[in-house]
Amino acid sequence: MSLWLLLLLPLVGAVCVFLANASIAKWISLGVSTLVFVLSVLMAVQYGEWGSAGTGFASHVAWLSQLGITLDLGVDSVAMLLVLLTTLLTPLCVWGSFTAITSRRKEYYAWLLILETAMLGVFSAQDLILFYVSFELTLVPMFFLIAIYGGKNRAHASVKFFIYTFTGSLFTLAGFVYVAWQFQLSQHGVWSFAIHDLSQFASAMTASEQGWVLLALLAGFAVKIPVFPVHTWLPLAHTEAPTAGSVILAGVLLKLGTFGVYRFVLPMVPEAVVAYAPAIAILAIIGILYAALICWVQDDVKKLVAYSSVSHLGFCVLGLIALNPIGLEGAVLYMINHGLSTGALFFLIGMMYERYHTRDMNSIGGLAKKMPVWSFFMVFFVLASVGLPGLNGFVSEFMCLLGTFIASGSAPTWPGVLGPEYAAIAAIGMVLAAMYLLIMVGKVVFGKLKEPDIEGQHTNLPHDVSPREIGILVPLAALCIWIGVQPTVLTDAMRGSVEDVLAPYPLIVQEQLDKPETVIIIEKEDTHG
Amino acid sequence: MLSLLSSLTAMPAVPTSEVLHPANLSWAGFILWMPLVSLVLCGLCAACKVKSKAPATITVICLGTSFLLTLVLWNGYTQPETILLFDWLQIHWDGGSFVANFALYVDSLTLLWMLFVTGLGTLIAVYASEYMEHDVGKGYTRFFAGVSVFLFAMTCLVMGDNLLMLYLGWEGVGFASYWLIGYFYQKPSAVAAAKKAFIVNRIGDVGLALAIYLIWSTFGTVQYDEITTVLQSEAYDASFGGWTVHAIPYLLMLAAFGKSAQLPLYVWLPDAMEGPTPVSALIHAATMVTAGVYLIIRTYPLFMLDDYALPTVAWVGGLTALLAATIAMAQYDIKRIMAYSTISQLGYMFLGLGVVTSYGAAYHVFTHAFFKAVLFLTCGAIMHGFAGQLDLRRLSGLRKMKGWKIVSYTMLVGCLCLAGFPFTSGYFSKDAILAEAFVTQGPGFEVLGWLAIFTAGLTAYYTFRVWFRVCAGPVHFEPGDELHGEDTSSFHPHAPRFAINFVLIVIALGALLAALPYFVPNETENLHGGWVAEMVHDSPARDGVPGVIVDGGQAEAHGTINYEIGHGDILGIDPHKAMYYISAIVGFIGIGFALFFHLYCRSAADKLRGKLLASRATRWLPTAMEHKWYVDEIYIATIRSPLWILGKIFSLFDRYFIDGALVNGIAGLPRVLARWFAPLHNGAIQSYAISMIGGAVLITLLMLFMPEIVEFLQSLSEQNASTEQVVATLGGGK
Repeated sequence: MSLWLLLLLPLVGAVCVFLANASIAKWISLGVSTLVFVLSVLMAVQYGEWGSAGTGFASHVAWLSQLGITLDLGVDSVAMLLVLLTTLLTPLCVWGSFTAITSRRKEYYAWLLILETAMLGVFSAQDLILFYVSFELTLVPMFFLIAIYGGKNRAHASVKFFIYTFTGSLFTLAGFVYVAWQFQLSQHGVWSFAIHDLSQFASAMTASEQGWVLLALLAGFAVKIPVFPVHTWLPLAHTEAPTAGSVILAGVLLKLGTFGVYRFVLPMVPEAVVAYAPAIAILAIIGILYAALICWVQDDVKKLVAYSSVSHLGFCVLGLIALNPIGLEGAVLYMINHGLSTGALFFLIGMMYERYHTRDMNSIGGLAKKMPVWSFFMVFFVLASVGLPGLNGFVSEFMCLLGTFIASGSAPTWPGVLGPEYAAIAAIGMVLAAMYLLIMVGKVVFGKLKEPDIEGQHTNLPHDVSPREIGILVPLAALCIWIGVQPTVLTDAMRGSVEDVLAPYPLIVQEQLDKPETVIIIEKEDTHG
Repeated sequence: MLSLLSSLTAMPAVPTSEVLHPANLSWAGFILWMPLVSLVLCGLCAACKVKSKAPATITVICLGTSFLLTLVLWNGYTQPETILLFDWLQIHWDGGSFVANFALYVDSLTLLWMLFVTGLGTLIAVYASEYMEHDVGKGYTRFFAGVSVFLFAMTCLVMGDNLLMLYLGWEGVGFASYWLIGYFYQKPSAVAAAKKAFIVNRIGDVGLALAIYLIWSTFGTVQYDEITTVLQSEAYDASFGGWTVHAIPYLLMLAAFGKSAQLPLYVWLPDAMEGPTPVSALIHAATMVTAGVYLIIRTYPLFMLDDYALPTVAWVGGLTALLAATIAMAQYDIKRIMAYSTISQLGYMFLGLGVVTSYGAAYHVFTHAFFKAVLFLTCGAIMHGFAGQLDLRRLSGLRKMKGWKIVSYTMLVGCLCLAGFPFTSGYFSKDAILAEAFVTQGPGFEVLGWLAIFTAGLTAYYTFRVWFRVCAGPVHFEPGDELHGEDTSSFHPHAPRFAINFVLIVIALGALLAALPYFVPNETENLHGGWVAEMVHDSPARDGVPGVIVDGGQAEAHGTINYEIGHGDILGIDPHKAMYYISAIVGFIGIGFALFFHLYCRSAADKLRGKLLASRATRWLPTAMEHKWYVDEIYIATIRSPLWILGKIFSLFDRYFIDGALVNGIAGLPRVLARWFAPLHNGAIQSYAISMIGGAVLITLLMLFMPEIVEFLQSLSEQNASTEQVVATLGGGK
């Protein structure tokens, strides 16, 4: 039942926030989200499935039994890690909004808490419909967070965000429903939406059916990740969202896409994944390089970091479809690491924005002189993001690229369909990442002090970061170092689940490799269809 | 984290790899931890806003401890050891594992490097305690924290037992270099230089990362000793690994050329002089830039796997040496001259590696560390004393000025070594490389040898150009622009005090004494070359040590290249003997030119330059040399600008085509349709409602017409399947 507790607590908190006085709303939501975090840590300690393939904290609740829809919850080790990421980031976001949000506070904190429930629902759902409902439910709070508390162009950004991702996920739903329908046909009219049943069933479908399902599922997940060329909602949404919105967006919501790939695409449609992997990899690599070059010419710091997410998540996608444990573990680690370091970068940009009301690199610069502590953290998280060894980003980037590199047909135990050439081209992204991030640091942190005219907009914030703000950044920084030094703790923890997902792949890859002509034709046919 | 703590308290961590480590060596971990301790303490100083010289004291004590521990380790060294500190990256899966522990590998090569890294690190920290005193309370702590980070990373790089530890150190030193070059962070040129250093190095780092992937996928390990084991095992033959073993050395080379500032990636090093001078001496002359040489020595057996790997190294090194020397001849900023001379000397080291004398390369690294450090530190003392003045046209006759004698004569020592003056340390180490170029048979090695001898002459010339201009001649000086409140007319140079002078003397003595190892009698049979040869002989790079006979039969069986060693000659004489005279003569000629143009007849130099500039045919020579052959400009025009423009184009493409035409275009379709049905609907919430309803309708329709859709899809897929079969048979028929 404890997963239910985790899910419902924020909802209860949201109701309390609505009923309470506006001035204490923030404290209630901070208390509730911290409580959820503590609970999730306790659960993580109790969790019995670390390192194995099982599902922990499974609970069964019937819902629409004639359609086989349930409210089953449960988490495997990968989902548990992402639950922890979510419960960690939420209280930090609440805490980070204390001074930034001054009007309509009750609604704001209520939406944040509802968002937490929705995100936790996505990671812990064991039923397709529950997953889909949670997946879509994340859009609503985020929509309001952007639309009410966002920047100048918030209306456009929120609508685009909503419609774009919603349209994408409709295709995903169609894919789900198709699989469930087929399952029902094979089971003489008995419906089920249990992820486990459907995954098993779907993986036995014919190759071209799998291809269709893959396309449908990816339509939703690729928008969410986002993969080139369906990424354009992201920079806009990020730029306009309030700080906490950006943090959650980058930290968790993008991971819903990659988590979807891990949870549904990989187990459900293995044959199609093998057939499409090179195409997906090429899109990911284009995304890495294309977005990195765009980052270089940005003037808006927040937009730069937003595009950098597109670039970074490309590595994550490569790891996902490398189809070997090192790549997939790297990808999961990437989800966590990107959440920590990019989340922190958005916090930092938010702190700067609160003080100067601008994010334009042409009108602001040399902040190291004025805000040394802020600058220290900025450089730190930029280095984590660049992938400096010893910090978290390095480990996951290294593993994703290594996984891609060895995913060639000749690999002895885990043959794949990518290979050294994919990794070599993607690795150029490492140079470009250093380039745009250091150029950004060079402008904003170093150089001559340049402050915009902030007449009449005096905030009562200190020059440099306040203890509260340091309190937000320190846990993230500590985790960055810890994961960089002891990544094995996490990779060991997820090992069983990852290998379970990948178990059927070596055989399928080998089969496809044995008849190369057919593989190529299937690909062609499917893309035409 | 637990294992980290346990190793900090020197308790043996659980050894998961099969290599056992004797418990009595686990204290060696403190060589690595001490700089980290220093970093943490400096961090505390920064947090407590300490406004004294405490950070310098802390750093000197910690680094000194590291040095002493290294001495003890060296003293008790008997055979290579692996020391596990804690488990770092261990990924196991069904059928394999990737293991890179935080472990140290101590062999004589490690010790050779660690001795001068920690030794010079400590001395330079002492020097900096005085040099940086203007900044006490401002950037003082930050500076020493940076030095600590650097030494920690450098220790990881040198002492790590696997390539991933090396990579950690590799990027770590790059980051420390970024930190310290950008020390004067309000100066745009310093920020730009720091950025450039990191980014150019990153290109090399990518090469290293890819090399690690290849090595791991070929050898199944990233640990040095295990790679060696595979290379020596029965399983290894000429066909081992296929194309990968031929790609590995070139990727490693890319990394080495980035870190050690060789063609085509050397452009960051001259700019790196924006950092405080102790940094230039420590990082950009003595230690970090030799990491590339270390990498290649460490992986020397891998370079034997490709016919052209080592010759490529030799040619790149030789050409870099020449190019950098020509640039150094035409610069006026003495620190920049030293920077180009570093690039040039590093070129010699790579030349040595390429012509299969890892011994010569290592020895030159060792001597260069001392004499280049002393040269930089004297430049720093001058810069410190003359308010930032570094122009050799505006300084003269320092040795006659009060308080500048030590600086002048220690600089002379450095110059003599760099110029390869007979019986100085640089003379012996450079000769070892030059002679070997004639001994070893390889593509164009003899040409390279003559080029290197010519470069030695240029080196002697530009080195003494500096000394004769700055230290000799009539007394004359103009202060630089960092006046700290004094005005130009009343300016008095600040002669260095105890700390700086002390360090200068110690390192200058070190530079002179670095010749002694050459005369240490060798214990190993047949070996000659002294102590350094002994140290390199115990390492993977033993093939490049004089006296070691490469076993031809075994080399052939293993598919490695059997270099013909010991057949070459120079003008009919044994190169080793001839080189003593040739390089001495060339050195004297260089010094003679400098003596004439820059001491006895300084106006002649200007006249010569004027004449060259006046003539149309020769104008390009001084212009191009003074503009560093326009390499930076060429890079900007061919790489940076096109990429930036591409970024701009992509940015517009993203905004107007992908987002504008495609996304908004498709999104506009429903709006056009909606106009027919619901002209009043407009705005955020309504759109949201519409799409919700639209979605619901779509779902309902899907559910209702599912059988038909399924039938349709099935028919499609059947069609597909049949087409597949047909095409497959056709394809198979071909």
